[in-house]
Amino acid sequence: MIQLENITKVYQTKVIETTALDNISIEIPEGEFLSIMGPSGCGKSTLLNIMGMIDEPTTGQVTVAGKAVANYHSKATARFRNAQLGFIFQSFHLINELSVIDNVELPLIYRRTSGKQRRQMAEAALTQMGLSNRMKHFPSQLSGGQKQRVAIARAIVGQPRIILADEPTGNLDSAMGNEIMDILTRLNQEQGTTIVMVTHDETMARKTHRLVRLFDGQQVS
Amino acid sequence: MFSSYLKLALKVLGRHRFFTFISLFGISFTLMILMVTTAFLETELGSHPPLTEKDRIVLLPRLIMKNMVADTIWSVDTMMLDGQPAYDSTFTMGKKHQNSYSSSSISYSFLDRYMRDLPGAEAHSFFCSDTRFDIFVNGKKLNFKALYSDASYWNIFDFQFLAGRPFQAAEVERQVPVAVLSRKASVDYFGTTDQVIGRSIEVDGKQLEIIGIVEQPSNSKDYVASEVYLPVTFMSEKDLSETGFYGPFKAAFLAQNKEARSTIQAAIEQKAQQISLPNPEEYNQLQLMSATVTSLYAFYLVPVQDDPEGALRMFMMVATGLMLLFILLPTLNLINLNISRAMERSAEIGVRKAFGADSGSILSQLLFENVVLTFLGGVLGWLLALALIYLINDSQFLGDTKLQFNTTVFLYSLLICLVFGILSGLLPAYRMSKLQIVNAIKHNNL
Repeated sequence: MIQLENITKVYQTKVIETTALDNISIEIPEGEFLSIMGPSGCGKSTLLNIMGMIDEPTTGQVTVAGKAVANYHSKATARFRNAQLGFIFQSFHLINELSVIDNVELPLIYRRTSGKQRRQMAEAALTQMGLSNRMKHFPSQLSGGQKQRVAIARAIVGQPRIILADEPTGNLDSAMGNEIMDILTRLNQEQGTTIVMVTHDETMARKTHRLVRLFDGQQVS
Repeated sequence: MFSSYLKLALKVLGRHRFFTFISLFGISFTLMILMVTTAFLETELGSHPPLTEKDRIVLLPRLIMKNMVADTIWSVDTMMLDGQPAYDSTFTMGKKHQNSYSSSSISYSFLDRYMRDLPGAEAHSFFCSDTRFDIFVNGKKLNFKALYSDASYWNIFDFQFLAGRPFQAAEVERQVPVAVLSRKASVDYFGTTDQVIGRSIEVDGKQLEIIGIVEQPSNSKDYVASEVYLPVTFMSEKDLSETGFYGPFKAAFLAQNKEARSTIQAAIEQKAQQISLPNPEEYNQLQLMSATVTSLYAFYLVPVQDDPEGALRMFMMVATGLMLLFILLPTLNLINLNISRAMERSAEIGVRKAFGADSGSILSQLLFENVVLTFLGGVLGWLLALALIYLINDSQFLGDTKLQFNTTVFLYSLLICLVFGILSGLLPAYRMSKLQIVNAIKHNNL
């Protein structure tokens, strides 16, 4: 489903050159639930961003759902990302000025889906997350766990084949974190969604199929 | 999609109310000034009575005579020297200050002799608009401007008659004692415009029957603005029979169509070259200064010597420059404000791009939001403009010129809002649309 070949990411400034990722190659088959772990600054989020085509590697090839990424800035890549990928962020990144349901509809706007269909799909996703009674609320009116569930609803509303989650439980307490992990696990088991999750939490990581460890930009296991 | 953008645009405006207030104030004030200026230009230069046919009218307000003598006269002689041609040049200095210049309005007899039946002209009129009279009513002295004209004057200038009618050719020829008053003159003299037709007014010792009341024309155009309109045959014999070139008259021509204006102006120029000057030792060049309604208006504001078309070009250049400057300064400020507001939304832009928005979608979203803001400012500006126009008209700041906010002005105002919204939003929107997703998401939290 996702293939990374010899991925290197180097950040260059006038003064210093930093290697965030050093020759990483990973293959993630469809339906796998993969965790990426490592100390802070080891390149976990960078690797996830490259998988999600929202960051460009310095060298190496990225292939997602059988399609090799050539141009990270093209309309075609944006459409592909919209169709195949869903993102969940540590800080939720919900738009505060929009209601819950308007936030969840966001990916469908760029699919040119009709307003009626968008609404139906968003309602279904929120119902799946147990938030059907919070549709008209605003993010500021929700708890952390509820916000993250809205973010998950937004990530799955377009039925993507891949979900990329960057420390989805990082800002939540353990109870809420477990709740979120359960949701992700169910998505993976019941719908076969490929999930790649960056986490600091060993307990969460053990609930996934496979664990990849990074250290100083290199894969160590 | 655009309903979603509209919802978000309105929500974003409410996010930082102070910045929104500053933006809206700047936009609405700028647009108010632009709308009032547009209303002014439309009133002054638009096609409405008595100048509905302004695009077919040629005016001849002035005759110019010049005496141009070269300061230096060169002569070159050729002679043979040792069998070869050699050149010998001499120059003669002319007398200093020999050039002279004189210009004035034109005599009736000149116009009558040379300016009838010009090619391209459907009608012509000779009129005099430089006379003033003191008129006494109820112990009060009024100073009225009088305009003397022939009957065809009313065929060229389509005055809006509030009551009655203009004088006819037969009445002019038979010197029937009739007059047309402006609305203001009627109110000043009779206290009303109602039931004034058939009453009389004393002008220059003559009792004249009022046969028409016209709507007050703008006082910026002396060839239509007057209080009393009288048949030309009521002028003194001296003024009508003056045989010289100069006199108190002007001419107006109605072209068959807009394109025929240039034919008339060319014919006038050609006539000027053909006419023999009465005293060539004193003046050796004759120029007849013709103009369109617009170019004459510009000429009175920007007096480029004897060249109304040149004045119009200068006027357009200066006016366009000022308008652009007036739009540019607040636009630059708004761009600055929009950039800082947009940067606050970097994370939102990053999330949208992560979920499939391409640069074009982001650009159109942000531009749409800015146009919404500009149109809100435009509505406020429109309300302020209406209030300002009312104040200007009520205080008579522009005299008899009454500003109007009509459909043309409204449409121009909409266009100004759109252009303003796009200009001030384009650069910030473009910058935001090009943000790298990963950097945008890291930038700040939503």
